[in-house]
Amino acid sequence: MPPELASILYQFGTNAAFLLLSALGLIVILGMMNIINLAHGEFMMLGAYVASFTVHRGIPFPLAVILAFFATGAFGIVLERLVIRRFYGRELGALVTTWGISLILAQGALLLFGPYMPPIPIPGGAVSEGVYSFSVYWLILIGISIALVAALTLIYRATPFGLQARATMQNPAIARSLGIRTGRVYMLTFGLGAGLAGLSGALLAPATSIAPFMGQQFVAPAFITVVVGGGANVIAGAIGSSTFLSLIETPVSLTLGTFYGTMALLIMALLIIRVLPAGISSLGAHLRPAVAR
Amino acid sequence: MTDSENFPAGPGEIEPAQPSAPGSGGPTRRGLLQGAAGIAAAGVVLAHPNIVRAASETPVKIGFIEDESGNLSIYGIQKLHAARLAVQEINDGYTLAGGPVGSGCLGTMGLYSPAPPTLTSGPGAKLNIINDGGTPSEQAIVTADTQEILIPSGEKGLLGRPVDLVSSDGQSNNTLWQQLARRMIQQDKVDVLMAGFASAEREAIRPIVDQRKQLYFYTNQYEGGVADGYTFCTGAVCEQQVIPVMQYMVEKFGPKIFTIAANYNFGQLTAAWVRSFAPVLKAKVIGEEFPPLEVSEFSSVIAKVQAAKPDWVMTLLVGQNQSNYYPQAAAAGLHLPMASTVNMAQGYEHKRFTPPSLANMHNAVNYMQEIPTKRNQDFVTRFYKMFPNDPYLGQEAQNAYFTIHLYAKAARLIGTTDQEKVRRTLEAGWAIEAPEGTVFLEPATHHVSHYIRLAATDEKQQISFLREWPMIEAWWLQRLGVNLVRHPEHKQYTPQEDPFFKMFG
Repeated sequence: MPPELASILYQFGTNAAFLLLSALGLIVILGMMNIINLAHGEFMMLGAYVASFTVHRGIPFPLAVILAFFATGAFGIVLERLVIRRFYGRELGALVTTWGISLILAQGALLLFGPYMPPIPIPGGAVSEGVYSFSVYWLILIGISIALVAALTLIYRATPFGLQARATMQNPAIARSLGIRTGRVYMLTFGLGAGLAGLSGALLAPATSIAPFMGQQFVAPAFITVVVGGGANVIAGAIGSSTFLSLIETPVSLTLGTFYGTMALLIMALLIIRVLPAGISSLGAHLRPAVAR
Repeated sequence: MTDSENFPAGPGEIEPAQPSAPGSGGPTRRGLLQGAAGIAAAGVVLAHPNIVRAASETPVKIGFIEDESGNLSIYGIQKLHAARLAVQEINDGYTLAGGPVGSGCLGTMGLYSPAPPTLTSGPGAKLNIINDGGTPSEQAIVTADTQEILIPSGEKGLLGRPVDLVSSDGQSNNTLWQQLARRMIQQDKVDVLMAGFASAEREAIRPIVDQRKQLYFYTNQYEGGVADGYTFCTGAVCEQQVIPVMQYMVEKFGPKIFTIAANYNFGQLTAAWVRSFAPVLKAKVIGEEFPPLEVSEFSSVIAKVQAAKPDWVMTLLVGQNQSNYYPQAAAAGLHLPMASTVNMAQGYEHKRFTPPSLANMHNAVNYMQEIPTKRNQDFVTRFYKMFPNDPYLGQEAQNAYFTIHLYAKAARLIGTTDQEKVRRTLEAGWAIEAPEGTVFLEPATHHVSHYIRLAATDEKQQISFLREWPMIEAWWLQRLGVNLVRHPEHKQYTPQEDPFFKMFG
């Protein structure tokens, strides 16, 4: 492979993985539960904090990432029981509430732990290809993000919990009448979303500075990925939008610079939402009936 | 009143040491007449001696806006804490040594030395001394840095009044900054405003400052060029930082430069300085990248740097998100020498990131807490005694600290907090002893000469200082003929406006 091609593929892969990891928890919470969760970035921050805290107490990084998933998930479940469940079906109420939670979490982290946490060294070295060299850890992250999305699909398509969750999100009243404990489903789904946000926060922690307001950098990419992906099939939508948006961003960044790359991404997101208000995944829904019938 | 407070005033309209009993005097008759213009403004109450006496217990309000939360909080909190230390010291009856020295000149020292410089031999002594003619008979270093810079001011507080730090959180949000500046000026009626980390924040509030004729200090290092009659810029600027560090980098590593700069006025203009000055050093900027502040994933930037193969990289990255560049570049195997005017001294990246992310980084700073001089280590001790849990005491924090002391000294000398009069007193030209060394406030440009040191990191990200320039003037505005005392103006100059730089290609 010529080094230029390897470099472009690597940039494309890291851009898409960054979008996908940023969006991972939000796919569940916004995409499935329809809660506009403005505390998404702070959930990721919590995951990174747990990872930093545990890594610096001698726990290996992969284990710390798993711990971050469970700790943030547990935190999400508590939050759902205490606050979030009172706002189901009230999108704007949930928006303001989660915004408040995000402020409390970020400022609380600043007051409790100070302006930054000890960094986590990036695992793995670099591999070279011509003049270019690539971070092994980012290559692993690309793989992990694909695996995580596959696992999420599996949970929702192939497990009883997934079936119950899909039923509950589609029509809670009927789901309840069929004996599904919808309250429990909501709680676990929110916990899963929070846990996934914490997990990706921990995974991205070595490549970022771990600090109280670090969550903000992920919020915009996460929402753009999920909203552009659309609600018809959230997971496929998120894969589609992260792939598509990085396909636009990478070549523009490469030729015109990062500034125009970011701009191209935003303009493209705007165009897609204008042309396909229900997101990229609605494209599939448009096509499917024609194929199926 | 200490000796230094009776320092002879410079030429011009400043009444020498008139308010010998602070708080009881108020302005002189002559000063009052001269301040007639100022009386028309908001300072009317304070300018009247009788009312000053009656209101002697109302505090002097120092308005202070910094980002205590958000993307830039890592800098704002340091500045706030250093400001609190300065206010505490003023209220406890202390001031920094120094005083007005007239129009001043290069090498003017605010402190008249209590003792002649002393020669010390021992480790590090490299100066050959010829005592009685002929061959060198001794090796030594000259040290004169044993004197205490924090001295009694002769009163607790300022002009018989306590000093209050009225602080607000700008939340790293430019629109909020405008609201806060308006509130500070109109509602809180602060006697002086000290505010601003990012240049975008400063430019957001400067029109409001000008409109209300507010005495304003911008304490950050920045890209330079602000010529504003109401604004005093006490941080270092490009000619003091960019040029020294570029000289060193080109000499040591080579002429091919790649610049990565935050995409707003600071980054764009500092990059323009690098571009403009490169031909003077027979160097060349072979690539530039301007990532927006929101960007936190840098694979494209890293690939571009690798493809361009520069000798070294100028990184002008600002904020939490952009500091991610360093670990990401290190992980991708990019280990080029780096230079900066912002990193380490402000956001202590060398402490926050694991080696080798910040290895081989160079920055010509006016302050870092690692400066080994006694006066600085005393300052560092005082700071951590007040804020034991703080992670770092950086350049802009030190600037905020000495600027508050500078303001208090000027107000104390003229005997009032009337903003117009304090402003004109500051235009006498002041040299005071800051923790970094002697700093000199140049009257015509409202900028400060700094003690610049070239800081560099080794593989373990330990700081050492490679070169020192005891006083570099902020000469660029002088070159452009700015004289705010004679010709008030309210604009920011950019390198593109200076034909000097175009001469070299």
